[in-house]
Amino acid sequence: MKILVYGQIRDNLLEENLLGILNKLSEVFQGSEIYAAILGSQINNEWTGELGKHGVKKVYTVEAPELENYLSRPYVKSMLEIIEKAEPTLVMAAGTVFGEDLIPRLAVHHGVSCAQRVVNITLEGEDILFHTPVRDDQAMKITKIEGVIKFATSRTGAFFENENPSGSAPEIEKVEISFDADDMVVKHVEVRKAERTVNLKDAKLIVAGGRGVGGKDNFQILKDLAELLGGEIGATRACTDVHWIEETYEIGQTGQSVSPDIYIAAGISGAPQHLSGVKAKTFIAINTDEGAPILKYADYGIIGDLLVILPLLKKKLE
Amino acid sequence: MKIIVFIDQIVSTQVKLQGVDYFDPSKVNEDDLVINPTSKNAIEGALKLKDSLEATVTAVCVRGLKPIKALREAIAMGCTDAIEIADEILYTEDPLLLAKIYVDVLEKFGDFDLVFLGVEEQSTSSYAVGAMLAEKLGLPSVLYAEEMETIDSGFQVGHVLEGGRNIVTIPKKALISVSDSQYFTPRYTSMRGILTAKRAEIPSWTAADLGLSTGVAGKEAASLQQVSLTNIVIERESYIINEGEPEEMVDKLLAKLKEDEVKLGA
Repeated sequence: MKILVYGQIRDNLLEENLLGILNKLSEVFQGSEIYAAILGSQINNEWTGELGKHGVKKVYTVEAPELENYLSRPYVKSMLEIIEKAEPTLVMAAGTVFGEDLIPRLAVHHGVSCAQRVVNITLEGEDILFHTPVRDDQAMKITKIEGVIKFATSRTGAFFENENPSGSAPEIEKVEISFDADDMVVKHVEVRKAERTVNLKDAKLIVAGGRGVGGKDNFQILKDLAELLGGEIGATRACTDVHWIEETYEIGQTGQSVSPDIYIAAGISGAPQHLSGVKAKTFIAINTDEGAPILKYADYGIIGDLLVILPLLKKKLE
Repeated sequence: MKIIVFIDQIVSTQVKLQGVDYFDPSKVNEDDLVINPTSKNAIEGALKLKDSLEATVTAVCVRGLKPIKALREAIAMGCTDAIEIADEILYTEDPLLLAKIYVDVLEKFGDFDLVFLGVEEQSTSSYAVGAMLAEKLGLPSVLYAEEMETIDSGFQVGHVLEGGRNIVTIPKKALISVSDSQYFTPRYTSMRGILTAKRAEIPSWTAADLGLSTGVAGKEAASLQQVSLTNIVIERESYIINEGEPEEMVDKLLAKLKEDEVKLGA
């Protein structure tokens, strides 16, 4: 069996979820050949070398100025060509914004649906089963796809990379694609990078706030506690988007990934997009809603108003 | 300018239905049914253009137990009119089939300029239908939109990107899937809107009206098949304090942390 993985490049590096996907695929589909596709205006040998180390036998590359930034049409066109050459049974991408744009489109061209944000892949006889959590991670939906080629995205953060990879340099096949005006009808303008002036990756303790914080000024309460405990503050995208706090503090799929010893989640409901960025040794949640999904992940929790609980906590710890 | 907004109706995630019960229609009350949050963001996107470009906005609901309820709310928010698609044979769990149904709705509808929809269906984390619909229609598209402005050639749209925001331009005839953002924060319904919605006549189209049969739009036609749906049991033991005065609760938490030798802070 052959498997093709979309090798997304982000900030001039292989997208961080890719190696985890490769590890999972090698584990589930032992004896299968794993291929990757890298598209861009300039392909770096380090990327292909890294993929080889993690078990990729062959990398298809398409190098063209039109591929400098992700745009659906030129990327779909390139991937369809590669799929035709590679003849895979399964095509996968990380569930990033671009991975989630690409995979459903490729599936449409093959007349099939796709599995989304999978956290596990298993085999049952001839069937490949895709496991996707639904209803805020309260239930697991297992699906299979009828069709010659199956398409799926993984949930970001779902799989861990092999820390001792032993693969060798992959075969490289350069693919030539030509693009016309119709392929470039959506035009890239710019990427506005979120300012990352605070590095939360090394923080040992984080007090993070969600919509429940209720407003910009209330973040001071989180800052006061974090300062006392020698930690940092963080926030969900919902808070950075309404400018309650600078975007540098965003934690989650589209923000920073963190792994502190202690994570205090205040007024955070626990959406998978946020939680996929948090791996904490001890998880403490403060929430007014007893049914909030975050409480299932918390080691400790208080059902109460963070605006009352956090200042009390600070007072007692002083 | 004619704008179509496809909306989903879901069971509110605020209701106390846990796990698989949430997906069991016999356990759901009509009061629990709400418009999917990012569908509301999409309605807002369309309504902003209705205000600025004198567009008409037609809301269409295929996915839901009582689409008519969602559509009345969409009209109360400001949509010009609405179309209900209701037929038991239509299977909407497979994004490809749902995209096919949307294509047929658009064909019957006739001319349109822009298609809006919510980026994600909250209860199932399903996001694929926007990309699939754009691809089936061959329409230029942008997914995960967070902000947009009208420019001469069409629209400039900012969309979510890991670590920031990506800005693209799209032509006037396009598809936009919208995510939860400040720009697309949905407006409240007005009293006048509610009265208009009450009186509105909402046509209901069936599968037959769209020329669809079970063989092409029913469960048997789905390429994505559900094998099982089970509750996730998390074995992690949580220590949740849910009663007492705030001070007592904090004391309890600190005592338990001490007992478990968890040290807060440096």
